[in-house]
Amino acid sequence: MTNTLHRQGTPEELKGDYVIFTSIAKEIKPGSAPQIHEFLKICNKYGPVNIGSSKYGSVLQDDVEFNDLITHLKDGSTSGAVFTDVETLQKVVADLAEANLGISINISGLLEGAHECCNKSGIQRHSVEQSLGFWGATDRLPERDVLEVNTLCGHGMVSFNYIRKMMDQVKMRRLTPKQAAHILGKCCECSVFNTERAEKLLARVLE
Amino acid sequence: MEIDKNKCVGCGNCHPLCPMGAISLDTDGKSVVNQDKCVECSTCYRVLRDERYPPAIVGGIRTVLSAFSLDYVSEVDVCPTGALTPPELEYPRNLRAAFSDPTVVHAGTGVGGRGTEEIKTNDITGRLKAGEAGIVIELGRPGTGAHFRDIQKVAQSLIPLNPHFEEFNPVTLLMTDTKTGKIRDEVLDEKVLSAIIEVKTTLEMIPEYLKTLESIQGDLDAVFSVGVASKCNPDGSVPHQKWVADAGYMASPNGKTNLGLGRPLFKEAGQ
Repeated sequence: MTNTLHRQGTPEELKGDYVIFTSIAKEIKPGSAPQIHEFLKICNKYGPVNIGSSKYGSVLQDDVEFNDLITHLKDGSTSGAVFTDVETLQKVVADLAEANLGISINISGLLEGAHECCNKSGIQRHSVEQSLGFWGATDRLPERDVLEVNTLCGHGMVSFNYIRKMMDQVKMRRLTPKQAAHILGKCCECSVFNTERAEKLLARVLE
Repeated sequence: MEIDKNKCVGCGNCHPLCPMGAISLDTDGKSVVNQDKCVECSTCYRVLRDERYPPAIVGGIRTVLSAFSLDYVSEVDVCPTGALTPPELEYPRNLRAAFSDPTVVHAGTGVGGRGTEEIKTNDITGRLKAGEAGIVIELGRPGTGAHFRDIQKVAQSLIPLNPHFEEFNPVTLLMTDTKTGKIRDEVLDEKVLSAIIEVKTTLEMIPEYLKTLESIQGDLDAVFSVGVASKCNPDGSVPHQKWVADAGYMASPNGKTNLGLGRPLFKEAGQ
């Protein structure tokens, strides 16, 4: 989950891209599995576009079902879900605050949206991290649309060339943007890939 | 990653999937992995479904079709014959997987892949306290990968600023001396998808760190992503934003927010 920090997009596009995830401090790792299960159940109740755990994969993958995921998650598993509007996210945060799970929970997305969720749920945000962008050999970076899709995966597992291939498949109408986004999402192990945003980006090749 | 040439039919499905562009078609018409470029992330192996077709039959069909100038087009997310073969990795090559494959939990940090707890558990750990700033420099991402010799170059450039390298961080654990930023010699030629240098400093030092990173960026053959973090003020405002802006940089409108729901909540002295 480390670098959901560097997701690219205009503020308007980022309004549809929120990741909520747990991170379990070593100090409270033993016995944390029930809280992680509850976190995922609360998220799942609100229909995320992606959900899962870095250790067992996301529900976009062929062999991962939500109920199996819950069964397999153990103490300390990092888990997350993706939502596409701040209103739904606010409901998730309200439920999580009420559940008082005691595990660290983070939102990656527009700071303003996350702050609003905190305020409406009566909690005070604790810490904030922001990106200062890409430095160094930036001439090696790809075109803007490819970069936006690539950064939807927190670990950079969705390759530039695979994104280009999916854009070609959509352009040739061998795959719909939705199908192509789903295939790209399978590359992302920790379930932070936003398929709905990817679908919109892929659909641009048809314009 | 390795490709079993007895099974590979050269369909090329795995080529674009590789984040490092390490897979290509060999002169024998089968796919091959460039072992210098491969970072052992196993994305190709995990994502492509193994259709378990007999290589001889798939190869035969492809040969017959090509005689009529036709292509055998398989689905885009399959390896028809299961030719991708993850090898047993030994040190130091196994560091490639430890930093590049998020399903591998790093033995030193207990966190999957190259990750660290950063501010994500700051409500419990108190890793960053009032007046402190966290600076994270992720080398190799997006998309270029990075060698440890470049990672060492960046770490050593920060030494005049007297950095406090985070102890529970996979890069710090490879340093022979955190006072010099020197990384073990035997790992310098290893390449990873990305690796994160994580420093704790004071808010006032943020401009100095950014100036130093600005000065070294032209010497690298990799990209790096920079992040800045701090604990919020009692009124909910974000203290690092002033220092970033004063230094002439623009922080992203999006980022990570720790909601402060972890318990027991870390209490600073005097609170």
